Amino acid sequence: MKNAGMDESPLIRLADVTKVYHLESGDFTALNHISLNISEGEFVALMGPSGSGKSTMMNQLGILDVPSTGEIFIAGKNVAKMTSLERTHMRRDIIGYVFQKFYLIPLLSAYENVEYPLILKYKKRDITGKAAAVLKSVGFDKEMSAHRPNQLSGGQQQRVAIARALVNDPKILLCDEPTGNLDRKTGFQIMDILTGLHKEGKTVILVTHDPKIAEYAHRTIELEDGRVVGS
Amino acid sequence: MKDIFFDLSVRSVRLNFLRSILASIGIVIGVVAISSMGMLGTNMQLSVKQQLSSNVNTVMISSDVVRTTSTAGNPITSQGIDKSTLNDIKNSAGQNVVIPIHNTRTQFTIGSTDGRGSIYGLDPNDITKFLTIAQGENIKGGSDALVGANIATNFNMNIGSRIKIGQDNISITRPTVRVAGILASRGFASDGVNTDNAIIVPDTWYTDHFGNKDLYDQVNVILQNIDTINQTEAAIDDKVNRKTEVVRISDASSRLSSISSTLGTITTFILAIGSISLVVAAVSIFNVMMMSVNERVQEIGILLSIGTEKGEVRRMFLYEAFILGIIGAGFGGICSLVIGYSVVSAMIGNTAYFFLPESIIYVPYGMIIGVIVCVLSGLYPAWRASNMDPIDALRNE
Repeated sequence: MKNAGMDESPLIRLADVTKVYHLESGDFTALNHISLNISEGEFVALMGPSGSGKSTMMNQLGILDVPSTGEIFIAGKNVAKMTSLERTHMRRDIIGYVFQKFYLIPLLSAYENVEYPLILKYKKRDITGKAAAVLKSVGFDKEMSAHRPNQLSGGQQQRVAIARALVNDPKILLCDEPTGNLDRKTGFQIMDILTGLHKEGKTVILVTHDPKIAEYAHRTIELEDGRVVGS
Repeated sequence: MKDIFFDLSVRSVRLNFLRSILASIGIVIGVVAISSMGMLGTNMQLSVKQQLSSNVNTVMISSDVVRTTSTAGNPITSQGIDKSTLNDIKNSAGQNVVIPIHNTRTQFTIGSTDGRGSIYGLDPNDITKFLTIAQGENIKGGSDALVGANIATNFNMNIGSRIKIGQDNISITRPTVRVAGILASRGFASDGVNTDNAIIVPDTWYTDHFGNKDLYDQVNVILQNIDTINQTEAAIDDKVNRKTEVVRISDASSRLSSISSTLGTITTFILAIGSISLVVAAVSIFNVMMMSVNERVQEIGILLSIGTEKGEVRRMFLYEAFILGIIGAGFGGICSLVIGYSVVSAMIGNTAYFFLPESIIYVPYGMIIGVIVCVLSGLYPAWRASNMDPIDALRNE
């Protein structure tokens, strides 16, 4: 396995990570002894057929879950040894999530959705104008900011979701099929935004089925049956 | 700071407006029940106390102590307070006014109408010491009489009316008294002299016709200073009941406190009944909160996955319960004033005490309890929301 970035401490390091789900039908190994490093500033595409462990991998990278065995280090910290609150704070401060289904908070306006992570972090409403600036940077019409998610198109929602992911200046951008629910043209627009962010220095990790989308990445990790088969 | 979690809760309540209002109605009913019941009980206590406390400075001495004989057989009751006992009472009562009272029940006839009531024999000089004459004048002796307010109204009596006393019997000519005055209404008298349905005659006339000279049914001691009630009672008890229990000594204050405590128990009981409606309200709030949590599983998943602390999610749902409680308690408070006032005026017929602090305090009490019940009902749903697994929650459609 080759590591694109060979820094002494990669941003993300998986060491012999295994994730086993205990189902009624028996144990299911979603990740099988995976070791890999992702350095700061990489643009990585995670590919593989359904059930190959992509989602499980994203949950691990997103600190939404911990491995059954093995260790994951993110920004130098061992995820399994953190408290639940420390993990929550890490998700808030270091990682930005972009989901296939956008997952905006339905009760909040577009602007408030972007402002929300700032409030989580600073425990007060944003008076710096950062939320508005980030929305603008993803090409989101200011007049649309007052709309609720259900009043926006898919592409608009995904822009808001990217703005929300960016607003706390995360090191890592985790994108789970960000173009999966969009038409092709809008999908490429979103990919252009992600490429721009990568150029600004973000580490972008992208899950996709689509080889055309994966082409945007500089490195592709292929998963099959919970194992890395190509990297 | 305007809390975004509070905002989210407000929006959730607004989004599910009808459901939230219906749940709050439960709280409204609970608050109204607790407040009105509490106010009803308090107003009842206050108005009964007021009626009873007018003669609270009177010590009542009666001879209804049962004396047992040394030989087997029926216990005999003493017939009354005799002259020497009365003297003992007078000696130990000091400067206070001692009023010996004869009392029995009798039949009487006014014109052609028969009636039945109490007849009191009193020294005419004692009468004005504790009774008020509304019309006419006090009796001087002979066959004059005073009548109570009710008896005067019911039998259409005036000054100068004549009353035949005793059972109608062809062979005997019944003695007659002449109404010299009519007493003011006393209500339920806590000194044991209930004159509203009674005829009051001079003690000499009473003993001439009913006997029992120098043997009294009750002796009242009217205190000049209410604070001396215990030592006066003790002095009389020491003197009169030295060897055996001859008389029973009681006063209105002990009766008052026992009635008050009974009324207090009744108030607690009706409050408990009122609380049942709050329990029902709690169940409906719990149900609505669980619905709110279950409908927003994916939203909770989003909140948790992008870095919302568990405590913050919990807070959001507790706010929601709190808002439901505030809405319910607010309306409940207003309704309590209206309904409480109606209930008190309908059941007690006297709203003089309604706005006193000890009565009106039940409105804020009810409201606070309503809000607390709401927040308590929201605890488990909030806990459940905050402890969801974000991955499972996100997957929930």
